[in-house]
Parts: sequence; C-alpha cells; structure tokens
Amino acid sequence: MTPMHFTFSAAFLLGLAGLAFHRTHLLSALLCLEGMMLSLFLALSLWTLEFSSINFFTSPLLLLAFSACEASAGLALLVATARTHGSDHLKNLSLLQC
Amino acid sequence: MHPTSLMMTTSLMTIFLLLAYPVLTTLSPAPRAADWALTQVKAAVKLAFFVSLLPLFLFMNEGVEAIITSWNWMNTLTFDVNLSLKFDHYSIIFVPIALYVTWSILEFAAWYMHADPFMNRFFKYLLVFLIAMVVLVTANNMFQLFIGWEGVGIMSFLLIGWWYGRADANTAALQAVVYNRVGDIGLILAMAWMATNLNSWEMQQMFVTAKNFDLTLPLLGLIVAATGKSAQFGLHPWLPSAMEGPTPVSALLHSSTMVVAGIFLLIRMSPLIENNPAALTLCLCLGALTTLFTATCALTQNDIKKIVAFSTSSQLGLMMVTIGLNQPQLAFLHICTHAFFKAMLFLCSGSIIHSLNDEQDIRKMGGMHHLTPVTSSCLTIGSLALTGTPFLAGFFSKDPIIEALNTSHLNAWALTLTLLATSFTAVYSLRVVFFVSMGHPRFNTFSPINENNPMVVNPIKRLAVGSIIAGLLITSNVIPLKTPVMSMPPLLKLAALTVTILGLMVALELASLTNKQLKTTPTLAPHHFSNMLGFFPPIIHRFTPKLNLVLGQTIANQLIDQTWLEKAGPKALVSSNIPLITTTSNAQQGMIKTYLALFLLTLTFAALLVSY
Repeated sequence: MTPMHFTFSAAFLLGLAGLAFHRTHLLSALLCLEGMMLSLFLALSLWTLEFSSINFFTSPLLLLAFSACEASAGLALLVATARTHGSDHLKNLSLLQC
Repeated sequence: MHPTSLMMTTSLMTIFLLLAYPVLTTLSPAPRAADWALTQVKAAVKLAFFVSLLPLFLFMNEGVEAIITSWNWMNTLTFDVNLSLKFDHYSIIFVPIALYVTWSILEFAAWYMHADPFMNRFFKYLLVFLIAMVVLVTANNMFQLFIGWEGVGIMSFLLIGWWYGRADANTAALQAVVYNRVGDIGLILAMAWMATNLNSWEMQQMFVTAKNFDLTLPLLGLIVAATGKSAQFGLHPWLPSAMEGPTPVSALLHSSTMVVAGIFLLIRMSPLIENNPAALTLCLCLGALTTLFTATCALTQNDIKKIVAFSTSSQLGLMMVTIGLNQPQLAFLHICTHAFFKAMLFLCSGSIIHSLNDEQDIRKMGGMHHLTPVTSSCLTIGSLALTGTPFLAGFFSKDPIIEALNTSHLNAWALTLTLLATSFTAVYSLRVVFFVSMGHPRFNTFSPINENNPMVVNPIKRLAVGSIIAGLLITSNVIPLKTPVMSMPPLLKLAALTVTILGLMVALELASLTNKQLKTTPTLAPHHFSNMLGFFPPIIHRFTPKLNLVLGQTIANQLIDQTWLEKAGPKALVSSNIPLITTTSNAQQGMIKTYLALFLLTLTFAALLVSY
C-alpha cells in the first residue's frame, strides 16, 4: 500500500492497540480514542481528495464535530468517575456499582 | 418269621426305646426326682447294655447281621430317603461296647457331678449324645449318618461349654463347633456327589453302583470330614481345648465315642476307599503325621487331661493309618479296645483331680499310689494297655496294625513316623505315671483323699477288666475279613515292642533327671515347640483372622474411601473442576481491558487469515 495509506492505518491500529491494552488511567484510553479519531479524519480527507468526489468534501468536518462531542462525553465520564471512585484508575471500574 | 431275626430286630428296637424313654419323660412339665439321673438314666443305659448283648451273642454264634428299613421318609420320583438301620458286625460290636463304657461313665459322673445343681440336665445331655452316636453307627444311609453326625457335634458343643461361666470353656466349645463344621463341608460334598451321581444315599446301592466312577472327589470329602471330626492334623486344635468340659464328657465324647465317628465313617465307606490309591495314601500320610505331631505335643504338657487328650489324638492318627493300609477291620478293633482304656484313663484322671481339690497340673501331684491305690493301679493298667503291652487289650489291636504297616509295600516314611509315635506313647505314659503316682506328694494336704465311694471305684474297676480282656475276647470271636501276614522277620515282628521298650527306657532315664541339673541352660526351642502345640493354634487362630481383618480394613479404607471416593469418584470431580472454575472466574472479572484485548487479537488473526 502507499505510504500515506500505511501511515493513517498504522496510526489507527496503534491507537486501537493503545485503547485495548491500556494500563492505569482512563485519560490515556480517551487520548487513544482521540488519536483514532484523528487518523480517521485524515483517512476521510485523503480519500475524498484521492477520488475527487465532491459529495464527500464535507464529511471530515462532520466527523470532527462528532468526535468533539464524543470527546466531551468521555471527559464528562472521566470527571464523574473521579468524583465517585476518587481517581480515574481503570482497575476500580470492574463492579457494576457506583 | 425266623426266631433269630425276630430276636435280633426286637432287641435292637428295644435298645432305642430304652435309651429314648428317659429323654422323652423330660418333656413333661413335672419336676424330676432328685435321683432321676442315677435311677432312670443309668438304669436305662445298663439295661440297654444287657439287651444289646443278645444281638452280640447271636452274631458271635451264627454270624447274623440285620438291616432294618422301617419308614419311607422322603421319596421323590428319583430319590428315596428311608429310615434304615444297619446292624452289621461293626455296629453290633460297637453298640455294646459304647453302652458298657457309657454305663461306667454315668455311674462315675453321678459322683463327679453330685454337687452340680443341674446334674439331671447333664445326664440328659449325655443320654441324647449317646442316642445320636447309636444313630450314627447304625445308619444304613448317609442322611441318618448325617443326623447322628450333627447330633454328636451339637451335644459336644453343649457339654464342652457346660461351665459356661468360664470364658475358656466357651471358646473351646466354639472351637469344637467351628472345626467340626469345616469337616462337615467335606461330608456334605460327598453326600451331594453321591446323591447326584449314585442316585441314592443307601449304602448298599452306593457300594454297588460306585464301581464305574472315579471316586476321588467324594472320598476327599469324606477324608476332610474325618479330619474334622476325628481331629487329624490340620483340624486338630479343638480336641485338647475340649478338655475344658467336665471329665465324664471328656471320657465319653472325646476318647471313646464321638471322635471315632470320623474313623467309623471311613470304615463304613471302606468298599469305596479300597480301590482308590490316592485316598489310601492320603489317609496313611495324614494319619502318620497326626500321630507323630500329637505325640510330640503330649510330651511336654503339664495338664493331665491334655496329655490324655493328645494321646487320644495320637491313637486316632494310628486308626487313620490303619485305614490307609486298607485294613478297616483292624481300625475298628482298635476303636473298640481304645474305648476301654482311654475312658478308664480319663476316669482315673477325674478321680485324682477331684481328690486333689480340682488340681490338674501333674507337677503338683505325686505319691498318689499310697493314697489312691486302686485309681493309680488302674492308671498304670490303662497306660500299659495304651502302649501295647503284650496280651492286654491294646496289644491285640496295636500290634497287628504295626505288623501290617511293616509288611506292606507302602510308604516307609509313614512307617517311621508311626514307630516314632509309638515310642513317644511310652514316654508320655511313663511321664504321667511317674508324676502322678510315684515319688512324694507335691500338694498341700487340704482335702481328705480316699476311695471309699463305690461309685468311683466300680466303674474304674469295670473298665479295667475291659481293658485287660476286651482285646482277647473280640479277636477270638470275630472272623477277620482279610488274612493278615503272619510270617515276617523277628525284628519286624517285635518292632512295636522294641520301640516301646526303648521309649520307656529313655523316659525312665529322663525321669531320673528331674531333680538334677546337668546342663547350665536348658534347650528351650524343642520344649517350646512341643509345649505350644507346634504353634499351630496361635498361627491359625490369631494370624489368619488378623490377615483377613487387615485385608478388610485395607479394602474399606484405601480402596473405597481413598481411591473410589476421593481420587476417582465424587471428590475427584470437585478437585478437578475447581482449578478450572478459579481460572475462568479470574479471567472474567468484568474488566474492559480483557475484552478489548481479545477483540484486538481476534481482529489481527482474522486479518492475517484473510490475507494469507
């Protein structure tokens, strides 16, 4: 595959791996999620430019908007977790209780 | 009907009625008179003896034998069981002898047991035993013989355990029953074989139809039965233990009548045995082993009754040897003469024991010749008859046996053992006489020792007369069925006598050493072997049950509890599942990381799979 193709695929996979194999903090998982979003934005933009299809010119910006919402939701959850469990250590999030 | 057979049959039925009448009167609830035992029972036996002399004289004069079949008991389509009595020359001679000996023993027992509150019951038991014994010897079919066989076994149990408050007596009675039962297996095997193969239990039919069969199996069964009942080696410990019973019981059952039942069975079945060399050899070797082993055990015993018991066992071994020589008539002759002197030996022992306040240890007797001259003289006569002194009763039966053994072309080892046992007989007989009658008294003079009571002395005197002349009487009036070998080298002819005299001389020499100490330490090993009866009872009665119990415990504990239940069964289910459960629970804690990691891995593998 082309180097460009390889770059954002690798970035996405690395972000996914970072999300899956997270260690201590919820914040690092959220950051990985942000990274995945970024690579997806890049991929969408490059795809539109590559195939010169006018229809999908607006999709990256849409994705960005939704990713911002999702990031804020994630951060709200982080704050709620910090409030109930005292920290954002992921190992405390195993019981389905508040 | 011919007068002879009429008289024969009548007198024989009368004997049964006379013996059964006192027992039947005990069924009524009215209490017995105080001297019922003496008047009714002893009188019945005495009268039965005189009545039984009639068939005996008829037999001796005319050779009359009778078989009475009186009642169809159980008859199926193929198998008949009848009540059938056989009075051939064996039972015609044995019944008067048994009644004579029983008469003397009952008279003695009236003195011996006079302080016993249940003397009437004792005499009833003795009478029931006598009836069972007569049923046994007059049986013409195996079923009746079995009834008599079991009857004498049961009465032996009841009489040995007469003083049931004593634990040793109960143990001894139980031992007698169990050992007899083991022998009964052989008898029942033989009976079953005969019922299925020969189609009858009547002896006449058995002897005729058995010619075409291989009889090894039923004969083995019969020999096992004789081993149990007549205390041959292997099933012998019950006989010395049976001395726990009162002396009249020992005199009647365990010397003259019950223990010879096994030998009598083999004598009855002699037409079957004589053609089977395996059975004959087995009898020969078993008898030789028994006679030597028990004679060895008798050498170091200290209880006078045990010495006489082992002497009985030794003579029974000798009878078995005679059967192994294919000489049933000689064995029967020995049974008859043995009854007299052995019963007398027991009665003398009983008289001495009672005089010395129930002291049975010969080391604590002595000098009885001055105190009870009649008893000790009869003891000496009995011992001399036992060792086969020429022209006393034992000589006429024992000497022909040894001669037949010497002139037969059979097992020389059996011959050696028997001769050795004959010399041992002289040794222990001398030991008894030396310790009891000779020397100085070794007991305290607490009880008045006298022989004033005729009830003691008369039976002993009667049996002494029998011990002296019975051999001569029987041999001169009975025609032998097999011709004995008359000519043999002089050493062979005198073998029994020589061996006995040698034994006597050795014993006298040993007896003179009893108050000297020539060796610093005694050789204990042979003494212990002999005194502990060859360690046979401790091994068989303790070791084998212990092995069984340990086996049972191992099975219950290790096989069932530890293996089937813990390692292989329910507990194994638990112990193999719990690690699996723990591992799985540990993995499924609800952590997102686990699930995400698995998702990623699956994704990677799927991608690799698709692309390759």
